[in-house]
Amino acid sequence: MDKARFFDPHAHMTSRTTDDYERMAAAGVRALIEPAFWLGQPRTNVGSFIDYYSSLVGWERFRASQFGITHYCAIGLNSKEANDEGLAREVLEILPRFALKEGVVAIGEIGYDEITEAEEKAYQWQLQFAKDHDMVVMVHSPHRDKKRGIIRSLDVAKEIGIDMEKLVIDHNNEETVEDVLDAGAWAAFTIYPHTKMGSQRMVDLTKKYGAERFIVDSSCDWGVSDPLSVPKTAKMMLDQGVSPEAVEQATWGNAAKAYGYSGQIDMDALGEAVVVDQRELFSDNSVLRGQPARVDGEVPN
Amino acid sequence: MTEHLQGVDQWIRDALVVGGHSKAVEWSDAEIRRASGGELSDASFAQTLSLASRFAPRGRLEPSAEACEAAAGLLEGWNPERWTGLEAVRVRWVLARAAADADSLPGAIEEAFRFADEGELCALYRSLQFLPGPERFAWRAGEGCRTNMMSVFEANGCDTAFPVAHLDDVGWRQLCVKALFSGAPLWRVSGFDQRVDAELGRMALDLVEERRAAGRSITPELWMCLRGEPTPRALVALDAELGGDDELSSCGAALALGRLGCQDRLRVLEASSSGRLLETTRSALAGHHAQAAFGAVSIPEGATPTPEQASAD
Ligand SMILES: [Zn+2]
Repeated sequence: MDKARFFDPHAHMTSRTTDDYERMAAAGVRALIEPAFWLGQPRTNVGSFIDYYSSLVGWERFRASQFGITHYCAIGLNSKEANDEGLAREVLEILPRFALKEGVVAIGEIGYDEITEAEEKAYQWQLQFAKDHDMVVMVHSPHRDKKRGIIRSLDVAKEIGIDMEKLVIDHNNEETVEDVLDAGAWAAFTIYPHTKMGSQRMVDLTKKYGAERFIVDSSCDWGVSDPLSVPKTAKMMLDQGVSPEAVEQATWGNAAKAYGYSGQIDMDALGEAVVVDQRELFSDNSVLRGQPARVDGEVPN
Repeated sequence: MTEHLQGVDQWIRDALVVGGHSKAVEWSDAEIRRASGGELSDASFAQTLSLASRFAPRGRLEPSAEACEAAAGLLEGWNPERWTGLEAVRVRWVLARAAADADSLPGAIEEAFRFADEGELCALYRSLQFLPGPERFAWRAGEGCRTNMMSVFEANGCDTAFPVAHLDDVGWRQLCVKALFSGAPLWRVSGFDQRVDAELGRMALDLVEERRAAGRSITPELWMCLRGEPTPRALVALDAELGGDDELSSCGAALALGRLGCQDRLRVLEASSSGRLLETTRSALAGHHAQAAFGAVSIPEGATPTPEQASAD
């Protein structure tokens, strides 16, 4: 890897600042996926979801482009808010309006939180939609009762007839990884600074299982999290003797392949040198305020 | 379809065919037939607008210079030079919806805007100039001026016949001043020269003072806003710019002298300047100082700013 480049396939950039975008670009993050999730507190009407989804395909996409990062997203109704059944119905009704747009690479993140009936209904409905439209699915696994949640997620997806090649199960750990690999799905790992998975555990897992079906992401959001998780983990892997090929798979290739089934990822364009044209030299009302605009060639790695 | 809509649709279709996008044309023809066949819900209208991304090319449409001229002949102020193939397909679809039922069109257009992604927003804004009952879309074009997505701002404000004809004075001046603030090409705002007035000139000169106070450079196109009778305040600001060392902005100031009819000052400048400024001064003396002339002195897109420019910020 003479020129490191990274794909962070799970990053809630809506909650992050431009400093984060800058640091990610400088560290080699070239593309990311922002899955729809909850905002830390429940929404009370469907209009909030419409505006949120539309910011994922609009403003946030534009904001990322100003830093030379290609922004894709996944559209879905998250498991927590699936429990507000009346609202959930309304959300599922408008969800197809966003799910088939340009740059939407998956239905996600969906799945279970408390493993309730309402969650299951919303999950099944969205799996069926994904199947009908030949879409990739990004599954969020629960924090509590994780192993059971993941097994259930896999079983229900199989029942609906989701192609395991188009199923990504996220937030795995040592206890769940084999279930996911055995099912033939992609196993994603969120590297959080203090909880769930840390970089060292990720290195150990890669040494044990190889990286053929592994995807590393940051899941950076409004909580304590690190948008540089992917590049940092890659460095730690290389330092500890994981092969460059395996690191490339886990931090670039596999995400591009799995989500590439959507047909929305132009690998040739991602391979080209990044030219950032911010033209914000005179701007005082866009995301760049007063500092020298970076109208440059390649993003430094 | 009215003759006007038909002419525009034919132009777009031809441009797609010439560009080799026959698959996109085929898909778009079929969708348009479907639209003319009967009731089309607002949701279904918006859905097709989205799905176009799966059938149409993402790159530039790249119509020939002659084709662009023909487009301007169909609608003065329309310049499709920067359209993408996908935008072309999407605008065709909007035209088909307009032809199907003009009365219910505003509702359908607003619904599409409500659910639009970045690319759809650009196409929708580009389409406004062709629609029947354009005053019904003036508020929407004002929203387009308020966006912070520069791609969308330019699709709404540049190369389109809509703003000059339908924005009210407040909206029109906000479009022009915001273009200066954000580095959008003001010289591409169609009909600018017809509508520039003393109030916009005053706003521009206020902006000059604000930027100089902050030690920041002046975008060359700002000087476009000075036209008609030269005021003492304008001349002081222009002299100060021409006494500085920002070559591009000085070129803009020279063109402004031409617009203000200051031939004497231009001749003095001709005697004392060299290089690019001399060239621009001569051009201004020869009467080439309409808005299009500012294209040559605009900050080039994708250009690396000179170190002075960068540090001036
Ligand atoms: Zn998440």
